Amino acid sequence: MNTIEQQLWDYIDGNLDDSSKKAIEEKIESDARIKSLHEELIKLNSVFGELDLDEPSMSFNRNVMENIASSPAPLAMKTKVDTKIIYCIGGFFVISLLALLGYVFYNANFEMPKLDLKVNLDLNLEKYITPTAICAFLFADLVIGLIFLDQFLRKKVAQK
Amino acid sequence: MEQKLTDLALIQNVLNGQTDQYGLLVKRHQRFVFSLALRFAKNREDAEEIAQDCFVKAYKALGTFKQTAKFSTWLYTITYTTAMTFLRKNRLDTTSIHDEETILQLENLTSGFSANAYEKLDSHAFLNIAITQLLPDDAAIITLFYKGEQSLEEIGEVLHMEPNTIKVKLHRARQRLKEKIQYLLKDEVKELL
Repeated sequence: MNTIEQQLWDYIDGNLDDSSKKAIEEKIESDARIKSLHEELIKLNSVFGELDLDEPSMSFNRNVMENIASSPAPLAMKTKVDTKIIYCIGGFFVISLLALLGYVFYNANFEMPKLDLKVNLDLNLEKYITPTAICAFLFADLVIGLIFLDQFLRKKVAQK
Repeated sequence: MEQKLTDLALIQNVLNGQTDQYGLLVKRHQRFVFSLALRFAKNREDAEEIAQDCFVKAYKALGTFKQTAKFSTWLYTITYTTAMTFLRKNRLDTTSIHDEETILQLENLTSGFSANAYEKLDSHAFLNIAITQLLPDDAAIITLFYKGEQSLEEIGEVLHMEPNTIKVKLHRARQRLKEKIQYLLKDEVKELL
C-alpha cells in the first residue's frame, strides 16, 4: 500500500529519504489536487495533535503509593556484574589452558622414527577414574543442574 | 528553583532506597498511562485499575529496567500487556448480546451524547469522542504517536509489532479517525479542515 495519501503522511511525518522527499515536493507543486490534499492532511495532523489526555482520579497517586508500600524496595539487578570481573575470569581460564597446552607440548616426544605408527592404545582408564574424579564430576553436574533450575524458576516467576 | 529530575535520575534514586521518589514518576506519567488504558478498557474504573496495576508492576520490576531505553516506552509496554491481560480476562465474563434481557437493556440505553449535546460541543471535544469510537489498537497507536512522543520503532516495541506494520496501521487509524470526525461533525468538518 503506497497511495499518494500515504506518501503525503510519510512526508509530513518526516519518514522520507531525500530523493523521495524531493519527488513528493515536486508532485505537490505541480498537481493542485495533491496540493489541496497535502494542506488538508497538515490541518488534520494538527487537529490530531490536540487530543486530550484523560486525568485519573485525585487519589490515583496515593493509591499507587499505598499499593507499593507493602512491596519490598526494588534493587538494581544483582546479576549485573562488572565486565572487568568477567574478563578476569575469562583471562584466568585462557591462561590456564595455554599453560596446560604448553606443558603438554614441552613434555611430548615428537620423534617418529621410520614413521612407526604403532600407537599404544592400551590406556589404563582405572588410573583416572578415582573416587575424587567421580565426586568432582558429580559436583559439576549438581552445579549445572542448580543453574538450570534457577533459570527455570526465574522464568516461571517472571511469567506470573 | 529546584531542577526537575529526569526519569532516569528518579529511577536511580528509587533503586538507591528513596522509594518515595516513585510518586514523582507516577505523577509524571499517570495521565498518559491512564489515557492509554482507557483506549482499551472504555470505562474509567477499569482503566484506573489497569493503570494502577501497571505502576505497581513497573515498581516491582524497576531493577530489571535497562536504562539504555526510554522509561516511557518500557512503561507503555507494561501498560499494553496489562490492558491485554485485562481484556482477555473480561472477555470471559461478557454475556451474549443475543440474550433477551440484554436486548431490552440496549433498547432502553440512552446515548451519553444526544443530538443536543453534540451541538454544544466544540470540534476539539468531537475529536476526543471520535477516538473513543476507534478500535483499541487504532486508538492506542494514535495516542502513542501524537501524545506519547513515541517513534514508530518505539510504538512497535510497545505493541510488539514491526515498525513498518505500525506505519501502515497508523495510516489506517488516521483514515478511520478522519471518517469518524467527518461522521460526527458532518458539514462542520469543512470549517475544521
